[in-house]
Amino acid sequence: MGRDTRRTRLLLAILLAATFTLVTIDYRTGRAGSGARGAAQSVFGPVETAASAVVRPVGRTASSLTHPNRYHDRADRLAQQNAQLRRQLASNAAVTQEAAQLSALRLIADRGQYTIAPARVTSVGDVTGTDWTVTINAGRADGIKADELVLNEAGLVGTVVTVSATSSTVRLICDPDSHIGARLEKTHLLGAIAGGNGPNSLSFTLYDASFQVRKGDRLVTFGSLDYAAGVPIGVVTKVLDSGSGLSRTAEVTPYVNVGTLDTVGIIVARPARDPGDRVLPPLPVPAPKKPATRAPVAPTATGPATTGPATGGPTATGPATGGPLAPGGTR
Amino acid sequence: MTGLRATPVLASAAALVVAVIAQLVVIGPLPLPFGRPDLVLVLLACIALIEGPATGAVLGFGAGLLGDLLSLHVLGQLALVFCLVGYLVGMLGAEVEGSVAASLVVIAGSAAVATVGYAAISAILGDPALSPRSVVPHAAGSAGYALLVAPFLFPLVAAALRRVEGGRAVR
Repeated sequence: MGRDTRRTRLLLAILLAATFTLVTIDYRTGRAGSGARGAAQSVFGPVETAASAVVRPVGRTASSLTHPNRYHDRADRLAQQNAQLRRQLASNAAVTQEAAQLSALRLIADRGQYTIAPARVTSVGDVTGTDWTVTINAGRADGIKADELVLNEAGLVGTVVTVSATSSTVRLICDPDSHIGARLEKTHLLGAIAGGNGPNSLSFTLYDASFQVRKGDRLVTFGSLDYAAGVPIGVVTKVLDSGSGLSRTAEVTPYVNVGTLDTVGIIVARPARDPGDRVLPPLPVPAPKKPATRAPVAPTATGPATTGPATGGPTATGPATGGPLAPGGTR
Repeated sequence: MTGLRATPVLASAAALVVAVIAQLVVIGPLPLPFGRPDLVLVLLACIALIEGPATGAVLGFGAGLLGDLLSLHVLGQLALVFCLVGYLVGMLGAEVEGSVAASLVVIAGSAAVATVGYAAISAILGDPALSPRSVVPHAAGSAGYALLVAPFLFPLVAAALRRVEGGRAVR
């Protein structure tokens, strides 16, 4: 066929040898972000941020144009005006939505007295679409460090893995390599939450088999030197009894929907004290199973937090420690 | 058209970089079933079909490496898959030249092969990108998406490469 010359085959052999070398080196030395990876991220992070800023309004305009335009054949002028107003409405809606997301994020951060850096998701996954990661438009310049927790208004999103100057990569909680210490609400028994079962399911392993995990139990992060405690993770939906093992496992549905991530916050500083369970949304008052023990306290302190608009931070902080959050003051 | 020539290779490389960014920023967030349209791979296959195996292998290696660098998986996996795909598609280029249907089949097939190949390599390295059950639907999905994208991309690539070469080379 004339295309497969000896030189081409030699070239292929060299390239394949190069890939095998790369795979071997990277596999042997661990997956820590090497120099080349960091450099690529610091070059492409800003490009992705810029591209995402361009693409977002285009998508918005496209979605506003898909509405049927009834004035089209009646008057061009009206049609144009109409389209422009629709665009404006769509963009207003987007701004309102963003503001709502930010204030909801603010409220959840205030409840835990976390100091957060807000960021937006600029790209999702990798080129193959199989990595459970997102890139966000905040990095070292915003005070972000590896291993910090990322949350949105619903709960835990993931952990920061690599950081460049202006962007970072976040490993989502549903990634197979994600393992985060977790505990059940109202207990201090250590367990771990892991991904790998798709976007809407996590597996929780409790290291104490004598404790009974029940459906409907809620999980928060355990907290350690590296990451903040008390961030809501999800609800147990199914207990998988392992029989006579030393641990118990359960299926957990995360609060966060990873398909629709947009505004997120990175916990850059946290209170000296464990915020306990108060970051979790208050339980509904007519509890179906049994009256919740913290019902008398919760509604007054955190009642309007999940639905209310921005009613000001201080009212939403925990009952015991009161006081508004002084950003950065605890560091 | 066997060897490497600087102008088309550089132009194609630039297009592939843009495709990688578009893949991450535009296609990545789309909520689609059975994987995503793989813009980078389809573009690579189009280029390799026209330019031959040497260009296909080199560009596949480069694009794959860039994809590897912008991810968390072991470096070189995607470079290996794309390099092989670029080479193989380039080899088939002479066979299918002039036939639209055959070109489309080769591009769709390459998307499926790349998905399976990537899943296999990541599984060998102990961090499977796809579960065994989802490999077949994803491979079929990426072939289907490639069939949707290629009819628009291939004529563009062919025209652009012809223009870049400035009518100098005759096939």
